[in-house]
Amino acid sequence: MQRRAFMHGLAAVGALGCLPAARALAASPTATSIGNAISVDQLPKLEGDLTLYLGRGEGGLYENVLEAIKKRNPKLNLKIRRGVTAALANTIVAEAKAGVRRADVFWAVDSGAVGVVADAGLARPLPAALTDQLKPGFQYSHWAPVTGRIRTLPYNTDRLNADQIPDSIMALADSNLSIGWAPAYAAFQSFVTAMRLLEGDKATGDWLRAVSQRAKTYAGELGVVMGVERGEVDVGLANHYYTLRLKSGKPDASVDLAFTKNDAGCLVNAGGVVALSEGDLPTNFIRYLLTREVQSYLASEAFEIPLVNGVQPPAGLVPLSSISPPRWTSPSWLTCARRSI
Amino acid sequence: MQAKYSVQKRRGLGLAIGFVTLLAAGQVFANGAIGDHVNELKAHIGSYTEEVSWLVGKYGEVVDSYEKKGQKATDTNVMVEYWEEVDFHSAIETNYVPVYANIWQGIFGVKQAIEAGAPIAKVREEQAKLNQALWQGLGAVKLASQFQEKGLLAKVQTTETEPTTMPETLDDIKHRLDRVVAKYAEKLPEAATNIVHDTYLHRFEGVEGALIEQDAALVEDLEKDFNVTLPQALDGKTSVDDVRKVVEAMQAKLDKAKSLLLEAEKKRKDVF
Repeated sequence: MQRRAFMHGLAAVGALGCLPAARALAASPTATSIGNAISVDQLPKLEGDLTLYLGRGEGGLYENVLEAIKKRNPKLNLKIRRGVTAALANTIVAEAKAGVRRADVFWAVDSGAVGVVADAGLARPLPAALTDQLKPGFQYSHWAPVTGRIRTLPYNTDRLNADQIPDSIMALADSNLSIGWAPAYAAFQSFVTAMRLLEGDKATGDWLRAVSQRAKTYAGELGVVMGVERGEVDVGLANHYYTLRLKSGKPDASVDLAFTKNDAGCLVNAGGVVALSEGDLPTNFIRYLLTREVQSYLASEAFEIPLVNGVQPPAGLVPLSSISPPRWTSPSWLTCARRSI
Repeated sequence: MQAKYSVQKRRGLGLAIGFVTLLAAGQVFANGAIGDHVNELKAHIGSYTEEVSWLVGKYGEVVDSYEKKGQKATDTNVMVEYWEEVDFHSAIETNYVPVYANIWQGIFGVKQAIEAGAPIAKVREEQAKLNQALWQGLGAVKLASQFQEKGLLAKVQTTETEPTTMPETLDDIKHRLDRVVAKYAEKLPEAATNIVHDTYLHRFEGVEGALIEQDAALVEDLEKDFNVTLPQALDGKTSVDDVRKVVEAMQAKLDKAKSLLLEAEKKRKDVF
């Protein structure tokens, strides 16, 4: 029953269009030109009316960013519609089809949702001076990644050491390790979409069936990490920041991070933003999200990975250069082998 | 006389505290069709009072019928119909969810006692609890009308708005947990469970990352509450009172979480 429900959920993700959306995102990198992130002091003031659709952010932290932008730009009338990311993406597409566009900017925690909008041809091109601030491999013509998160394998350090963790996500299915996962979680579903792209539907289906036979299901990925830490399972499937946050509150936690290599298990996913209406205001608003200050804030407070050049990643995370995400999303400058924290 | 006054005073204090908590949440929303009257409570206090009196009378008739004619001659389903019929239903539902749950609990208490063929004394006992809940509900609405008149009570919205800060989110979670009790009292355990699941996934998940940095053990407790303790309690066999105890324990933890996050927010660096 659990597996059928999960496969049904997977079908729903497919129906959402994540598969073609992922291809749309992957097909969009532009020629690389590198510039460092700029300071907010270098940006023009924002004025006028702007409607932002915000797909569930990191608690109140995205809200703090928006409040700071509003405070700094008193002549900006920022209207925010908040909601579940996938639902907002569908709303934007539906509104466009109905000829009643309301959103000027869409900021989503998951690039799959951004891809849905971009794939529908609704995203406006971004100026090169804006995209040049982004790390090589993360420069796209019609959307901007804001911050990233890495798929990881948190493992219980009382039961395992890093060498015992497979460096292939597909090999995990054949290992004797017990696994914790949160299949209802949006990031997990993006991970499965990536696996389908990389390995094919059959291999992905086989993997899911094999893992589900001995996986313990949690409602969310922080729950996965906590389950790993308690020793309920050997390893988990979760975004990186959950482990960092747990260790921030519990420094002696019995959990550490391992990474696979060149597959969906090491996917770098990104929250992203798209401009939906004409004019400078939407793109200038996006520039604020890519400033050194906003990027540093999200790195230090939300443990997300800044995707602009020149900003330090969150404390406790290995450098991006030491991680090997899958090739079709891999920045060209990434090298080196898997490493644990 | 003094004892009665003390009980009333304590009850009023409890109601006032409840409303202050509700006001702190910053939003009120309702299910289904809600009349405009819920945003003009004072103008409808008279009709609400009449409705409560009517309900007390109608429920009395049901019990009297049971006493005189027996179980087979008594239609207990009308009890739910009577409650669904009055405007007072939505007035109390939108203004004081805990009391709303008590009323449903009272209705089913009488209904099930009759259906079980309980002695009339037992049924009368349940009837007294129901009547008390109804009058308490009216008191709650009267108090709410005063807050509303002073502009201290948010207008009822027919669509839910999103909390924007972590403390607001925690207050919203607490309110949703009250709705869990209300749905369970309505004999809708699946609906109650769905609220728990949605609240966890769309509310608590968004704040627990920041909260775990402050108190990992508290997050673990709440994780267990959301995913084990409360769902298990909503099995349809647990009493409403026991479900309420679980919820109240969770709400106390959420209050602690809110305090922790408020303190953390003071220390958080500015964006710019």
